[in-house]
This record gives sequence, structure tokens and C-alpha cells, in this order.
Amino acid sequence: MSLYENRNMAVTIAGNRLVEDVSLKVEAGHCTAIVGASGSGKSLTCLSPFGLTSGVASGTMLLDGIDLGRAGSDQIRDVRRRLTGFIFQQPLTALTPHLTVGTQLQEATMQAGSARPSRRELARKLERVGLSRADERLDQFPHRLSGGERQRVMIAAAIAHDPRLLVADEPTSALDASLRAEIMVLLDELRAEKGLGLLLVSHDLASVEGHADQLVVMDRGAVVERGPARQVIADPEEDYTRRLVAATPRLQEPAPVLSRPGQILLETRGLGVAFDRPGWRRGKIRALADASIMLRQGESLAIVGGSGSGKSTLGRAIAGIGPVTEGEILWQGAALPERRNRSLEMRGLVQPVFQDPVASLDPHWQVGDIVAEPLRYLRPDLTQADRIEMTRRALSDVDLAEEFLTRLPASLSGGQAQRVAIARAIVASPQLLVLDEATSALDPLAGAEILKLLVRLQGENGLSLLFISHDIAAARRLCHRVVVMEEGLIVEAGEMQEVIDHPRYPATQKLIAAS
Amino acid sequence: MLKSHLALFPLLAIVTLVLLLPFLLPWSYDQIDWDAVRAPAFSGSHLFGTDEIGRDRLARLAAGTRITLMVAVAAALVSLIVGIAWGATAGWIGGRVDEAMMRIVDGLYALPFMFIVILLMVVFGRSILLVFVGIGLVEWLTMARVVRGQVMALKQRPFILAAEAAGTPSTVILLRHILPNIAGVALAYLMLTVPQVVMVESFLSFLGLGVQEPLTSLGILVKEGADDMDMTPLGLALPGGLLVVILVCLTIEGERLRDRFS
Amino acid sequence: MLALITRRLMTAIPTLLVIILASFFLMRLAPGGPFDGERPLDPETQAALQQSYGLDRPLWEQAWLYISRLAQGDFGPSLVYRDFTVSELIAQGLPISLTLGGLAIVLALMIGVTSGLFAAVRAGMAADKTIMMLATVATALPTFVTGPALALFFGLWLGLLPVSGTSDGGAWLIMPVVALALPVSGAIAKLTRAGLASVLKQDHIRTARARGLSETKILFKHGLRPALVPVASYLGPAAAGLLTGAVVVETVFGLPGLGRYFVQGALNRDYPLVLGVVTLYAALIILFNLFADLIYGWLDPRMREG
Repeated sequence: MSLYENRNMAVTIAGNRLVEDVSLKVEAGHCTAIVGASGSGKSLTCLSPFGLTSGVASGTMLLDGIDLGRAGSDQIRDVRRRLTGFIFQQPLTALTPHLTVGTQLQEATMQAGSARPSRRELARKLERVGLSRADERLDQFPHRLSGGERQRVMIAAAIAHDPRLLVADEPTSALDASLRAEIMVLLDELRAEKGLGLLLVSHDLASVEGHADQLVVMDRGAVVERGPARQVIADPEEDYTRRLVAATPRLQEPAPVLSRPGQILLETRGLGVAFDRPGWRRGKIRALADASIMLRQGESLAIVGGSGSGKSTLGRAIAGIGPVTEGEILWQGAALPERRNRSLEMRGLVQPVFQDPVASLDPHWQVGDIVAEPLRYLRPDLTQADRIEMTRRALSDVDLAEEFLTRLPASLSGGQAQRVAIARAIVASPQLLVLDEATSALDPLAGAEILKLLVRLQGENGLSLLFISHDIAAARRLCHRVVVMEEGLIVEAGEMQEVIDHPRYPATQKLIAAS
Repeated sequence: MLKSHLALFPLLAIVTLVLLLPFLLPWSYDQIDWDAVRAPAFSGSHLFGTDEIGRDRLARLAAGTRITLMVAVAAALVSLIVGIAWGATAGWIGGRVDEAMMRIVDGLYALPFMFIVILLMVVFGRSILLVFVGIGLVEWLTMARVVRGQVMALKQRPFILAAEAAGTPSTVILLRHILPNIAGVALAYLMLTVPQVVMVESFLSFLGLGVQEPLTSLGILVKEGADDMDMTPLGLALPGGLLVVILVCLTIEGERLRDRFS
Repeated sequence: MLALITRRLMTAIPTLLVIILASFFLMRLAPGGPFDGERPLDPETQAALQQSYGLDRPLWEQAWLYISRLAQGDFGPSLVYRDFTVSELIAQGLPISLTLGGLAIVLALMIGVTSGLFAAVRAGMAADKTIMMLATVATALPTFVTGPALALFFGLWLGLLPVSGTSDGGAWLIMPVVALALPVSGAIAKLTRAGLASVLKQDHIRTARARGLSETKILFKHGLRPALVPVASYLGPAAAGLLTGAVVVETVFGLPGLGRYFVQGALNRDYPLVLGVVTLYAALIILFNLFADLIYGWLDPRMREG
């Protein structure tokens, strides 16, 4: 008998069936992963049977022989108390801000009725999940810990009372890329050590590959396919699964065929950016130091690193929307001044595309006006008729129909909004696009489409691309070369495949492991 | 939609009435009817009776409400303009300038502004202009804080950075990108400022420090009513009740707008 | 925590100094004031003024004199109440005003927090909507309307409570305190309910629920403190509002508190009195804000660093 089993489970909210006919199994000591895009119902599926969402779950749900469907809310609360542990997505907000780490861990340990643990026992629990200086941490408040540290505390608290089933809802999505592999490995170890069953939810197929035994693929509230993970990925039966596997960037896939680059276009020499400390404190914060990179015409360069690595700062400095405090930027040999000193002509050479597509469009402006905005100021020589024509062309270049001209950003999907942002970026014919995590906020399918679009634009228009990302596998689909950053410094650089095959720096190795 | 804006109806009714009544009533607000002093309600041409000097209560009520609302709207606009100017400047420039400007706001927030306004009135005399400006100055702090918060949040939004990359000049960014995006919140807080200002004005008038004779306001009417309440409770109940109704409706509507735009 | 207090004091002291200096200069410039020569004063007061303010000394020396006297608690002579100095008047009136204000805030907190919690736990239901409607109405009840109304009803008509003056025993406190506390209690009820309703939706509550804790435990251990944060932020403005409301209540009920002296002083242009009271009130409110910040820090550890 499986540890946890669902048969024909459905979840209803306010009369609407949002999840239909779900069947899955979790075995003790093994991991079952639910994978799907946002809105596919995966969180509802894994949390509703335990009464943690506003949805009502029906159907057969058996945990260790207990029928959750027939249980009253008190009984389900008892199940949560004794048999299950939960890990949620946002470590920043999941811990109570006014109680110390020690108090919360103690509460978690005692929840199933065990005796009060000693300080040493609590410290040992924190050490087991990889936290250093465990004794100090017990007296700290959650806001003093970093995101990764907080997630470790959550994991420690989730297993503190020795549950049988661990449910993890997107445990690594909100974490820095370099930490993701470590957390997944930690979960694997704990699972084996304690014989836990792990029910894992993720939107990123690549992050569960190698960790999940069983895979369940969901789309729009229904299970599309399920089976042994290795088999489903290697040989998917359903069309959706096949598209999902194809869309997810994985390092094992074949290398892309990219265009040949030309002359040197952009160089930075010793670029550095330092910010004043907030408030009246002394000293500066160095976001970027001694960055020297080179980019050729028609080439794509990937800048990868975790958060705080300085990659966005570098990208913004080059795009002319962020400050520069030392070093220089050269465009075809001539100096390119920083932000406020750039002439309109110079601005037209480099254009940005941002991570959150909807936030990069003014909610009150129509798509047509948004895309035409650069033309108004960068090409004052054009007539209105010219501008309309070029706007239409830009939209068609990104595969959006003319009817999108009068739409408002709120009515667009993530993928469509990003296409509008790209249309805006290319409308004035720049030579370089700086893309700051341009696919990170998109669903795997939409993100894959955007990557394909970028490869095409590069081939057709000879565009150079600066692709900033934490996902090295995604960058690989697009870029000739890669630069790895950590804490404001460039730690490794080279041809893409070369760096992936022979990483020298630990930061690089962590990023590769995360993919 | 109609039901959710229920609170507006009494307000609109009151405003319409007070604007129309001077043309419909035979008595003006300071006219004395020597034949009917302290007349009870429904006596002759005096719908709500007369006060202790013989002035028609209804006419005074209408006049007082007009003045109160006028002062309230004017003062609220003062606080809106000062608040937006201060908050938008602090938020847009950012850095040390912003810190300094907001420290000032924080310091002022703690003060008993009411007393300072009274102090100013004592020193500079009681002009109606001072009433507008003084009351407006009591409330601009909240608007400044809200606007500054909004502008700071917007400044970092990618669509602003994209506009900068597109070569859009700063003034155009402020006008066409930032202002439309803070209009909603500013309006909501404006709606919430008006009842505050009504309270302040009535309070000052009650103490004899606000609107002066021969003009009247709801505050003055309440004071007159309170002084006379053992003889004619109606004199207190009418303006007091009307004041409460106006304040409640404004507050409900303002909070609804605020929740919608937050 | 210490950093927070220090930082607060560093903002507070200059603010206070600015107010004092501004008051001083306002007093010197005021038309129709004692320094104008417009109103002839009797020789006694004139001499007292001369001595207090050193009118023959240079301006900056006068300012310094004023501040140093203030620091010693000497606010100068009252122009209207000829027999008293301002300090003496303050000593008479302050205890009454503080009693009123103190009781009012305690009452407001008691009513406001309990009704707010009650409403939040029953969010969406009839009890919640009724309580919130009552709270909104309460915030729109100005003290100068409720004060006379209460006096009329319970004092004149029912004869239950004294309508003016202080008397032995506490009965004279009841109506003024209730009139003062009502609008504040409404505001606190709304803030508590909103605070708790928003906290209950937050992630850490879900984590606590996932641990199988009872709803009561979750509410009190994990939900209450963050929910009260908006109330703590409101305490500063609430205190300012109570001081203002006390003025009305003292006038309406004929209580010899500081607020009533202030109004009399304002109407009669008794500058030293008015300025003294404003300065004192400003200092009190700054102190109270510091106190509110400390409470805030206890409720939310993230604020402790200042």
C-alpha cells in the first residue's frame, strides 16, 4: 500500500471545479513530483486534501490508511499535527516575524506531543539542514536570515516532529539559483534518511529531474500524463508533455546552431558601479567591480550569476539606464558615455528588455503607443505615418497581429506582453538588446517561444544580444559565449559549451548543477 | 455599481438642497423675524422654527452647510496640491533630498497641528483665507507620504526605465507616465481628507476661532445649539445630526475609493 | 532598540527647538501683542515683562533667555490671569487634562481592540459588518457634537450625571471621557480588524495552520502582534487628537483643564499662555510618539533597528 494515494480527486472553489480527476501515489522513501505551468492546479492538488487552501477536495485521498475525504476538519488538523510536514514557496514570509527561530522550531518539534526539546537538540536540527552557527540562530528573528537560510529553517521545522509525508510546494522557486541544487540534495538526503515520502510541486521540470521517482504532469486542472520520471521525460506519450520537455532548457539537449559573429561591437574596461549606503551611513556598496567584457556584431553573450552577483547592474550600465562610477564602455572603439550623458543617437544603439513583462508596460498606454515611444524621441525625423508603419512592422516581427495595437497591457498574457516589450525594443533598429532575465518570469512554454524568437531576430537582423540570466541552460540555447559573475566580479568567461563542460569556479559549478 | 456607491446619494441630496434652498426659501440666513423668536418647528413659514434671535433655522442650516463644505473642498485642494508637490519631488529626486524632506514630514507628523493653526490665527488675525490655508496645512502630510511612496515605487518600475531608454525626457515621463498612475490614489486620499477638514473647520468654528460673523458654518451652528440646548434641543440636533451624516457618507465613500486603488 | 530611541530623540530635539524659536519670534512679531505698544499695559505687568524678556537686550540674547527659562519650566507671566504665571496655570490644568486623555485612550483601546478582534474573527458575517458600520459612524462623531448631546441626555434630561465642573468622586469624568474616547475607539476598531484580517491571509499563518495548531493558538500566538502594528502606529496621531478633543470637552463640561485655559488664552490673545501650552503639548506628543515607537518595536522586531 502506498504511503499517500489520490484517486479521482477533485478540488472545488465556490462551486467551480478547478482540479478534476487527479490520481497519484507517493511511496515512503520516494519522491513524486507534480510539474505544470502556473494555473495548472498543482498547488491546489497537493494542499487542498489537507485543508490548507480555500478549495474543497473530494474523491479518494488516503494517507497511511486514513481516508481524508471522510475526515472532519478536526481529524484533518490532527493529521497535519502528526503525520505531515509542509514547506512553502516564499521563505521570506512563511516564518512568523515576531517569534525567534528557536521558538518556532520548538513549537514544530512539540506539535505532535513530544516533550520539550533541549537547546542542544534544536541546534542539532538546524545543523542537520546545513545551517552554520546553529546556536546563535536559535535566538535570531527570521528577518535576520537570508532566503536560503530561512528555507532551511522551514525544512527543519517541517520534519522536526518526524512526519511520514513531506509536502513541498515550489520549495526552490523563490531561491537564488546557486542554492537550488543544494536544497534539492538536502531534501533527497532527508527523504532517504528518515524514510519520508516526498510530494514535490514545481513549474520547472529541469529542477526536479534527477530527484523525482514519479512524475505527474498537469495542465489546466487535469493530469496529462504520469509515470516513472525518467521514462516520462525520455519518452513522453502525450503531446503536452512532449512540448513541455522540449520547451524546458536542459543541459543534456543538443547544442544550438547559431549565426557567425562579425567585428567587435562593444567593450567594457574595468567597469565598476558603487552606490552610497542608504541613510547617513558612511561607505559605499560595490555592486560591480572591474568588469571587462567584449561583444561582437551578431553575437550573443550570456551573463549568468545568482542574485546580488552584479549581472543586472552591468546590463543596466551598458543599456544606459544605470549608473557607472568607474571604467569605460567602448562602442566600436569610441567611448560611450554613461546614463545621463548619452545623446539620443547613442541611446538608439542599445535597448533593454526586462524580466516582468507586464511591469515593463505602462498600464494606461495602448500597445501601439508603447511600441512607438522610442520612435518619437530617437527618430524625430520620421512623420507620423512612418511611425505607424514601423510600429506595424515591429509587431509583425514578433508575431503579433495588428489588432494588438489598441490593446491594453492588462489584457495580455505574459508571453504576449514580453513580445510587445521586444517589439518596442527593436522598433528603432538598435544594434544591441540587453535582456535582463527576460524569460525568467514566464511559463516554460512561453519562455521557450521567446527564446526561439530571439534566435530568429538575431539571425535575420544581425542583432547582438546580452542575455542576463540565472538559468545557464536557457542561455545556452541562445548564446555563443558566457560570462559568470559572483558578488560583483566576473569569475569565469569563455565559449558556452567549453565553460559548461569544464567549469573551474565553484559559482559556475553551482549554477550548472541547478539546471 | 449603484449599490456600492450608496453613500454618495445622501451627500448629493444634501449638496443639491443647500444650493437650491436660498432660491426657494422666503427667509435668508441672517434675516430676523421679529414676530417669531424661538418658534418651534412647522410654525408658519419656518419649517424648522427659528433660533433665539428669530432667524430661520432651515436657512441657517443651508447656509452653514454651504460654507462648511466650501471651506472643506478648498482646504482639501490645498492639502492635495502641497502634498503632491512635496511627495512627488521627494519621491522623484530620491536619495538624500528625499530623506531630508521625509524627515521633516515625520517630525511635523507628531505635532499638534491644530494648536499651531490656532496659534497662527491668534497672531495673524482671523481671515477666511487663513482658515483655508491653515486647515489645508493640517492635512497635507498624509498626502505627501502617500504620493512619495507611490512615486518611489513607480520610479523603479521597468516601464519608466524603458521610457528613459527610449529617450523620453524627464518632464514627459513625469507628466505622461507617473502622474496618470498616481491619480487614482491621490483622488482616494482627497476623498478621505475632506471629512478630516470638515472636522477641523467645525472644531475651529465651535471654539470661535474659525469662520466669523456674519457668515455661519455648521460648527458655529452646533455651538449656538449647544449653548441653547436646555431650551431648544432641536438647535443642537439639526446641525449636529447633519454634520455626522455628511462625515459618515464622506468617510464611507473615501474608504471605498482608497480600497479600490490600493 | 537603543539605536531607535537615539534616532528618535535626534529628530525630536531639533523639532522642539524649532517650535520654541518659532513661537518666540511669532510672539515678537504679533500685531496687537504686548510688545507692540498698541495696548497700554499697567506698570506692574510692564515691569514683569521687561524683566522676563529683557526687552532692552539684543534679539538673540532675548531668544536665549526665553529658551533657558523654558528649560527651567518658566513660561512667563499670563497676560489675562494677572495673578498667575503660565507655569502655575499649567500646573493647575495639566493633571485634569492628562486624566481625561489617559482614561480616554485606555477606554478607546479596550473597546476598539476587542470589537475589532471580534469582527475580524467573524469576517464577512453580519456581526462583522454591523461592528464596522458602528465603528465608521463613531469616527464621524466629533466630540463637540457628542459632548453636548451626552450632557443634554444624561445630564439635563435624565439627571444622572453632573453637567459641569469637577466634583468629589469620579462621576464627573464619565461623560467627558466617553465623548473623547468614542471616535478614537472607532478608529482603533477599524484598524484592528483590518490588521488582523490582513495578517490572517499571510503566509506565516498558513505555516502555523500546517503545523496543526488550533485556531485560537494561531490567532493569539502568531496573529495578534503583527495585527496590532497599525494600532501602534496610530497611537501618536490618536494622542494628538485626544489633546485636541480635550479642549472641546473641557469647554463643554466646564472643566478647569489645560485645554480650556488654552481656548481662553487664544480668544483673549494671551500669548505667553498660548505659546506655553503649544510648546508643552508638542513636547508631550513627541514623548508619546517615542513611547508608541517602543511598543511598535516590541510588536514587530524588524523595527527595532530603527
